[in-house]
Formats: sequence, structure tokens, C-alpha cells
Amino acid sequence: MTGGPAAGTPALEVVGLKKTYRARGGAAVVAVDDLSFAVRPGEIVGLLGPNGAGKTTAMQLALALLDPDAGEARLFGGDPELLGARRRVGYAPDAPLFPRKLTGLQILDLHARLLGFGPVEARRRAERFADQVGLAEPARRPAGTLSRGQAQRLGLALALLGDPDLLLLDEPTAGLDPAAMAAMRELLVAQRAKGTAVLLNSHLLSEVERVCDRVLFLKQGRLLHTHEVRAGQRTLEVRLANAAAISGPLAQAVPEGKSEGDRFRAAVESEDQVPPIIRRLVDAGAEILEARLVGAELEQLYLQIVEGRA
Amino acid sequence: MISWPVARATALEKLRSPGVLAVGFCLVAAAFFGGSGPRQAFSGPALVFLGMLTLFLGAGILSDELDSGHAQLVLLRPLTRAAWVGGRLAGAGGALGAIVSAAWVCAAAGALLRGAAEPWVPSLAILPLAMLWAFGWLSVLAAVGAVLPGWTNVAGAALAVVAWGMLRGGLPVLLRRPELADVLATVGKYLGPQDPLALATRPREGLGPALYDLCWIFGSWLVTVLLFNRRELARRRP
Repeated sequence: MTGGPAAGTPALEVVGLKKTYRARGGAAVVAVDDLSFAVRPGEIVGLLGPNGAGKTTAMQLALALLDPDAGEARLFGGDPELLGARRRVGYAPDAPLFPRKLTGLQILDLHARLLGFGPVEARRRAERFADQVGLAEPARRPAGTLSRGQAQRLGLALALLGDPDLLLLDEPTAGLDPAAMAAMRELLVAQRAKGTAVLLNSHLLSEVERVCDRVLFLKQGRLLHTHEVRAGQRTLEVRLANAAAISGPLAQAVPEGKSEGDRFRAAVESEDQVPPIIRRLVDAGAEILEARLVGAELEQLYLQIVEGRA
Repeated sequence: MISWPVARATALEKLRSPGVLAVGFCLVAAAFFGGSGPRQAFSGPALVFLGMLTLFLGAGILSDELDSGHAQLVLLRPLTRAAWVGGRLAGAGGALGAIVSAAWVCAAAGALLRGAAEPWVPSLAILPLAMLWAFGWLSVLAAVGAVLPGWTNVAGAALAVVAWGMLRGGLPVLLRRPELADVLATVGKYLGPQDPLALATRPREGLGPALYDLCWIFGSWLVTVLLFNRRELARRRP
């Protein structure tokens, strides 16, 4: 399975979830309020919202780590407590902590065994996934000595360990260096290509925009808006070496586009439209230096929807 | 009932804890120098160290994992809460067994060096019986740890023991009914694991406490699971 959302049973579905905490002093704080959404196989869904919007609580409710006051969560159409469903889920929490005296490899080995792998396969998987997240050497040290970023990567390796069909990642790039963040993006895209459903909670708008198919805007526990990232509202921007020389042929070849200086811009409805336009530009004699999809509107949307700014 | 991968990881973790190792070393040393043979391996100062070792092994036996949030990752695997509790207990029990066995061997070696000879059967029997007693208390700490955070399970259990002791001593005096002392003493025998060490030498006296301790351990595990099943797993954010 590749690309966009697929039909069929959602990997994760939450309906009318509500959760209230008791704050110090006894006041009730509504963390999640009547929240409903679904994540389908081969889809990356982002959760966006300010601190305290209920993003982490929503994930924990979805996994039955918290008991909802109302509503329900379903994993692959069934109860999240079912052991069969849990085998298919990977979860990486924000700022995870691990047994300080065990090494990263021993922790991975423990989880691999809990997933049902034999001792030899468990060790092999532990080493493979530690290597995959760039922890081959640090994973040999006790977990208590790992940095925040390394612990974050270990959490990610644990989430991926069982080749899950559903991944829930809570601020997975927090504490990661730029190279590791880029690797994380590649990994998410690869997971989507495999048909894995991903629910991503992140504060980084650029990251969400680059990998997510859909973004859910949350505030005070409520779902304010659902934004289809890959549908419409995007612009293909191409930088050309010979823009001035071929402006005439370009206007004929791609009439929906517009030249401005050394840039050529065209509105696109989806990523599928990009390759044909590039082909037409090349056929018209364009010497392309750079091409990118611009979607800066997510930040504007965030400010508009969540912060209420015009 | 027991997750062996969890038990293995718990035993490794406990055996790398500096506190457990320090008290374990004291227990081994006390067993080597203290008694006149392996039958006395867990008497006198060694018994105190065995109690301390149990406390160190049982401190935060569940809450360490729950507070850190690792428990929620483990329990998202295809694993029941009962098996996880069983695994944590079995792992701590494994670490206890390793240290107690080392103490027993050292007691036997010390006795041999001093030229003391003891009958083998009672000497060998003392080993599982001492473990049974300590494991009984470990299961109490696990049950308390299912509801209390951090290492407060040790404080909670210690407070309960002290409170019971005060009640036992004070109530007959306060109510001016000395006959209550016997009743409370009898009740007290059933408020925790009993001492089964007599089974090694006096089977008639020791069999009852040993069987009682086995039931106690199972009962504690059951209570721990029931209490733990009512808990939410997610770690509260600071």
C-alpha cells in the first residue's frame, strides 16, 4: 500500500472520548472533550495544538493507558486491551525513561521477547533496531547514561521493534539533532509506504507539514479543525536558470502557472500533479535548478484556528 | 501468571543495584562469620541483613516502573497485568535466591573451615525456607507498592508493622484487659508471613507456617493484581 488514506477498518478509531483530571485544589480540568477521529492504514495523521491541548492524553486514551470518562477507542476495530491488537501497535512516548541499570540492548531484547520472539531472534532484532535508529554503540551502555535524544531514539526503536501496523509517536523529534530529525522523517515516510498507520504528535509545524496526510487541530481537548495537507492549497515553486529566455514557451506549456523573476509557480491540488508539470517545463526547455512544494499555510492555519488570529 | 522475560530483566536490574549488592555482601559476610554452620546461616545479624535485603529488593518493586513510564510500554505488549506483576515478583525473588544461596554457601564454607559438621538435610532445607519467608515479605511489599508511589511501599509496610506492634502492646493496657494480649498475639501470627525455619529441624512445628507462607504469597499476588488492575497506567506529567 502506498501514499494516501486507504479504505477499510481504521487502525485506530476514537469516538466521543472525554477525560477530566482533578487538578490540585480539586478543580476539574477537561483534558479531552468529545474527541473523535480515525487513522487508516497507510496514513500519517498529525495532532497539533498548544501545550495542554490534550494531545498526549488523546494518545493515552486511544491505547487504554487511561480510562475515559466517556466514549471509546478501538484498535483495528476491537478493544485496545486485546493482546492481539497490542501486538500490532508501537508507541513512543514523549521523554521516555527506562530501567537505569539495564542497557539499551537488554531493554530491546526484553521487549522483543515479550512480543514472542525467541532468544536468538530477540537479540538479533534488538541489535538491528538499535542500529536502525543510530544507537548501535550507545545501546550497549546502561540506559541511565543515555542523553535525552538517545533515550528518545531508544523509545522509537522499541516502537518499531514488532513491525507494527499502527505507530503512535508523541513528540518523537524532541531532543533530536537535525540529522536525526531528517532520518525520522524518512522513517515515517517509509512506514507509510509499508501501509503502517501513524499518529504523530509534534510541535514542529514544518515536520508535520512535510510528512502528514492530515492534521487535527486541538485546543482545550476539543477537535477544532481537520486539515488535509496533501489536498489543494499548495504551490509548486520551480527556480529556473533560464527563466527570462523561455517565459513565452513556459506560458504556453503550463498555462496554469505564472513566472516571477527566476521563479515559476503553479497551484497544485495534489503531489500527483507535480511530475507532469515538471515534464512539461523540461519539454519547453526549462533548466530547473530547484523545485519544491510550498505549503506555508499550515502555520497560518494554526494561528487562525488555534490562536484565533485573523 | 509469570512473564519470564520480565522476571529475567527484573533480576538483572536488582542485581545491579548498589544498595542490594551492599546489603547482600553484608548478609554473605554475616553468614560466613556468624553462625556455627549453614543451619544458623540466617540467624542473628544475618537475619537482620536478610530482612534489609528484602526491603531493598521490594522497595519500588512496581512503582519504579510505573513512575518512570516503562511499565506502560511493557504493558502495551501482549502481556497481562497479572503476568507482569508475577514477573516483577519472580525477578526480585530470583535476585533474592541468588544472594541467599551465596550466603548459605559461605555459611557452609565458614563452618567447614572452623571444623563444624552439621547434618546435611536440615542444612540444605534452611535455604528454601529462608527464601520462602523473605519472599513472603517481598509479596507484601509488592501489594503495598500497587497503590503507593516510589519507595513509600517500604515506609507503608514498616508503618503498618509498627502500628500493629503498638496496638498489640498498648490495647490490652489501655482497655485494662490483659487477656486481649493472647488474642492479639494469635491474630498477629496471621497478619504476615510466618517463620517457617523450624521446618528444617522440627517438621511438625514448621510445616504449618511453611504452608501458610505459600498461601500468603499467592494471596498477596492476587491482591496486588486486583489493586493494580484498578490503576491507570499512564504516567502523570509533572
